[in-house]
Amino acid sequence: MTFHALAAIAPLVILGCAIACAAGPRFRPKLSLFLAEAGALFAFSIALLSAALLVMDGAATDSFAVAWGLGLSIRLDAVSVLLFLLVTFIGWVVVRYAARYLDGEERQGTFMAWLCATLASVLLLVLAGNIGLMLFAWIATSLGLHKLLLFYAERPAARRAARKKFVLARIGDVALAGACVLLFAAYGTGDIASILDQARAGEGGTAAIGAAAFLALAAVLKSAQFPTHGWLTEVMETPTPVSALLHAGVINAGGFVLIRMADVMLLAPGVLAVLALVGGFTAIFAAAVMLTQPAIKTSLAWSTIAQMGFMIFECGLGLFPLALLHIVAHSLYKAHAFLSSGEAVATVAAAKRPGPVAVPGAKAVLRAFLVTLVLYVGIGIVFGMMHKSPQAVALGAILIFGVAYMLAQGFADIAPRKLTRWTAIYAVATSVSYFALQDLFAWMTAGALPATPQPGALEWAVLVLAVTSFAGVAVLQAMFPLWAHHPAAAGLRVHLANGLYANAIADRLAQSWRDRPAH
Amino acid sequence: MTIMLSKRDRTMASLMTAARKAAAAIPPLWPLATSVAVNPFLGQAGEPLDMAAVRLARLTGQSCTMPLAWYATKIADGVISRGDLDDALAAQLSSIGRDDVDAVLARPHAASHIPGVAELCAAVSGIDWPGFIEERFGAWAAGHFDEGQALWAAPRERGAYDAWRAQARHDLTPEIIGLEGFARFVTSLPDHADEVIARAPYLPGLDGDGAESYFQQLLISIGGWAQFARYRQWQAELAGGDDATLLDLLAIRLSFDLALFRIYGPEIREAWADSVRRHVAPVVPSRDIQVAVVLQSALERSSQRLLSERLSTPVVQDAGARPALQAAFCIDVRSEVFRRALESLSGDIQTMGFAGFFGLALEHRGTASDVAELRLPVLLNPGVTSQTTTAASTDADLRIRARASRAWGRFRNAAVSSFAFVEAAGPFYAGKLVASALSRAKAHAHHEGKPAFHPSLDLDARTGAAETILRAMSLTSGFARIVLLAGHGSSTVNNPHASALQCGACGGHDGEVNARLLAELLNDGGVRDGLVGRGIEIPGDTLFVGGLHDTTTDEVRLHAADHLSPAHRDELARVTRWLAEAGRLARGERALRLPGATTASSIMQRSRTWSEVRPEWGLAGCSAFIAAPRHRTRGRNLQGRSFLHDYDWRQDRGFGVLELILTAPVVVASWISLQYYGSTVAPSLFGSGNKLLHNVVGGIGVVEGSGGNLRTGLPLQSVHDGKAFVHEPLRLSVCVAAPREAISEILSRHDGVRALFDNGWLHLLAMDDSGRLAWRYAGQLQWTACDDRTVVARDAA
Repeated sequence: MTFHALAAIAPLVILGCAIACAAGPRFRPKLSLFLAEAGALFAFSIALLSAALLVMDGAATDSFAVAWGLGLSIRLDAVSVLLFLLVTFIGWVVVRYAARYLDGEERQGTFMAWLCATLASVLLLVLAGNIGLMLFAWIATSLGLHKLLLFYAERPAARRAARKKFVLARIGDVALAGACVLLFAAYGTGDIASILDQARAGEGGTAAIGAAAFLALAAVLKSAQFPTHGWLTEVMETPTPVSALLHAGVINAGGFVLIRMADVMLLAPGVLAVLALVGGFTAIFAAAVMLTQPAIKTSLAWSTIAQMGFMIFECGLGLFPLALLHIVAHSLYKAHAFLSSGEAVATVAAAKRPGPVAVPGAKAVLRAFLVTLVLYVGIGIVFGMMHKSPQAVALGAILIFGVAYMLAQGFADIAPRKLTRWTAIYAVATSVSYFALQDLFAWMTAGALPATPQPGALEWAVLVLAVTSFAGVAVLQAMFPLWAHHPAAAGLRVHLANGLYANAIADRLAQSWRDRPAH
Repeated sequence: MTIMLSKRDRTMASLMTAARKAAAAIPPLWPLATSVAVNPFLGQAGEPLDMAAVRLARLTGQSCTMPLAWYATKIADGVISRGDLDDALAAQLSSIGRDDVDAVLARPHAASHIPGVAELCAAVSGIDWPGFIEERFGAWAAGHFDEGQALWAAPRERGAYDAWRAQARHDLTPEIIGLEGFARFVTSLPDHADEVIARAPYLPGLDGDGAESYFQQLLISIGGWAQFARYRQWQAELAGGDDATLLDLLAIRLSFDLALFRIYGPEIREAWADSVRRHVAPVVPSRDIQVAVVLQSALERSSQRLLSERLSTPVVQDAGARPALQAAFCIDVRSEVFRRALESLSGDIQTMGFAGFFGLALEHRGTASDVAELRLPVLLNPGVTSQTTTAASTDADLRIRARASRAWGRFRNAAVSSFAFVEAAGPFYAGKLVASALSRAKAHAHHEGKPAFHPSLDLDARTGAAETILRAMSLTSGFARIVLLAGHGSSTVNNPHASALQCGACGGHDGEVNARLLAELLNDGGVRDGLVGRGIEIPGDTLFVGGLHDTTTDEVRLHAADHLSPAHRDELARVTRWLAEAGRLARGERALRLPGATTASSIMQRSRTWSEVRPEWGLAGCSAFIAAPRHRTRGRNLQGRSFLHDYDWRQDRGFGVLELILTAPVVVASWISLQYYGSTVAPSLFGSGNKLLHNVVGGIGVVEGSGGNLRTGLPLQSVHDGKAFVHEPLRLSVCVAAPREAISEILSRHDGVRALFDNGWLHLLAMDDSGRLAWRYAGQLQWTACDDRTVVARDAA
């Protein structure tokens, strides 16, 4: 027993807050709101303390009541502590926001209770030292979210979203449960650290591969990958803080579990390849859909689906530290974006003021791509790209395609010189920041996460497919204004704007439109 | 054959007439970036409330008054007195009596609306067709009307109907949900919206009288989308043109009904025939609605009674000496609180009320901006143009910076680059989250430079404008050494409805530019010289100062630097102190009404808090418009519920100023008042719903939740504090200190304004020379004496 067990106080305190909110008044519960925010801040300080402990004492699992590795145990390592910090931080922001935002709402106390309960479950999920506890927290998280999705249960659209989500979540629960059973069968223990140690040694056999497949299925369902993403695009049927809360380890729980069990996942290259394909497709598909969305929260939701796809794609490539960086970075950005989505009117108005956008021609786009390639090589040399895995190099290339879009805007013929300079500064700063953060996360998770394996034939095929697809989309994106309004693109736009109808089909299967509003 | 054709032509012509009439009944909706309050009953102004109420109840099932039980409580609480009710009963034209009121209050009847085709199909199929149509219509319209949210905008070089048809041909969603053959059906539709409207008789019975009512129901069912199209038409009409988008939308919505009828026709034929019969039947107010309207009138009489008492309470007033400060504020009800606070500080302070655009109908361009801001009442076309004066190099630099940040925004949102953005910049949002959570985030910057007319006006035009404005303000003599012209605006963050808190007379912008320009105009020596010849002598030591009253924080920012005057330095310092002190008093008063505002400083905090849904109450509570000299209202606590317009009829030769007041500020105030009224009595029809669910769409408006209708009007949180409505729904009482013959004469020349009063959308009361609300306008240019019972005491002044 070490002090690591201290971390367990955090979910307990938040759970206490949930109970206080549930027991307190529902309308303007002043005391509960104070307790909830204080509890969230306290949990964040515990997370900071845990980070300090990790730095001083190293990773460890603390167990309380455990048999065969199952029961109450807490694991602190780079993965869990990073998520711990993230979840408590965003949790604090969301709790504070909701305390004011829902002021005057008839059932604010109830909302805060479910908000805290969900947060406590997520904390338990990321801190869990064994797969039994992880499964429990996983299910609890989704049940808490279900309650939040139905905060306005009288809204038919809210019920539509919640019902679809409920069905998918239960399938996900079964998948994760299946994975846990197989893991236990393969390793004879539920203790995550022991499982990972054995898996890293190559043990586990077929059962482990089966477990990896189930973990992948659970992750795909949890993180709203195509074609199970529909409910996420309707989550704005419940107050905005819930959309932000999703990014505190709820929507990204799928990715978290993959990262948590990375050593097991590496035993099943086939499963990883499938994950890379599903994630990569979802990323490109949802990012394209996002471009067509005229409503801010809907567009942010599609962006979340795309980003989750990209994160799963990174897991599929075996780039787990990068996937972890992605979870942290995206959560912070997207929580802010949802909570500040009321600025959309001002943002759209501001974009009109400085006059029309300079549209880059084909030549400017080509120039931008060439310059970014040079930039990539240059930065690559500085950051020692030669020693990185081909997967990391490929991923860097994909991201640099994105930077090319920034440059292309500045390279447009009618763009003033000064604008070109600004975009160039942004491009360099973005690239440097990206590679620095990548190295930082690789360094932080060095002991906790396995190295990316050497690619075999399958991996190479996936890499080539991914890089060419992303490159193609990047070029299309940069030249976008030149083709997007061509009549031939009109049909494509309609199908994309409707998310290729995956959600309509889900609605038909779920008989969503048969649920009529009560008069 | 020819006879057949001509009959068909006649039907088509009458259907088009019906469609145009239905379209004309839809009020416009301004985009949220520059939103202004709109009277939701604009299309019903030609009929009284009971007719409008029964019409809207037939079409939507919504009520245009509060629930009867609510009025019953008001009676029980003594708010509505027996006398109020008797007076209201006596004044109405129908045969409703006291017995009817008692009977209806004891046993209210629920009236049902006329079910439309989609609803009837839903009943037989079990599929929520109205909800589905709303969702599909919204999905298309949001893209079509998007003003810059989506990077990949919908094609829109064509008209709305064409654009819809082009996309509906590809959209597979209806087929998947069960509207079989919809894409094929859309392909088979005629090329012109008019011809689709002409197909309305495919729904049996819709070839005659019921069409207009049915069309209106369809247009109401698409909510704010129809109103946004009406706005386009409004703008086109102001510019002397026309716009057919609204009829296009009608054709689109009708197409859904036609498609549904093809499938479910046999099953719903009888029910539909019944609906048509009800559409054809004349609109007759039910007894319940008549009683509700009588109770509403009684409530308004009760409020007028209290106002009258308040106005006739004697107060001690200083008079005579030249004031140290004259401060002109917008007529906005929020100014009343601040003006009262300011005047309470010293007898040397005099305040005035005038429409916040200060008579300058501006088209303004800010720094580094191509956007023409229409800073004027939306009823008007711009008369002068102005721009912020900035050095060309500064303007260019700011433009580059804005474009660079726009490029960064596109990088953040584009397909592949969004992944690069997240991994490179995402972690830095931790800092932004902390700043926002602690309300430390930057508020929208307000460091606009000094505005100037552009092109500049010649002296004659400047002098003419100055004279007109001063006369309209009834400010032609007795100038103080410092005259403050304070426009108003609000400062909030993360608020899609921010512009709704700005100055309504400035087209949803703040009034700062107008105020500064007027100050500049009146400080102009040439103009002052010219004014002397026109009978207005401004003393040489009078300094006009433009400023901005922030209604969220009650701070006033002065722009003394616009016209430096060392001679006024000490006085300006004193004025600044007065304004700060008045702000403190005003915040203290407002804190009592704002939930969670415990201290004056927490009010400042609200304007920077991103999770604040009630940064201020806006114009909630507005109930009266008083056009009178300030001494009629000075020293009386009007609780921030009155529009105060300075007006002295003795200075008004030919009653030109009175005509202006009745036709412009009063109309704007009526739009505001009726918007609040509508958003309170029928929030789901006229209000924009729950802020917690608002999803900004296209940069122009909000939908509630994931899609559907664009919502209009005020959010629930703007009229409700969680426990109860903070806005008491009252039709505005316009009180004018002027001879009633003059008022009648003006009304007789302005049918539109007269209709508002004749049909009771506004009350009109004339104040006599002793400040008493002595006469009540009874419609048809008739006046009745106000009962003595409603006036307790006479004004001692």
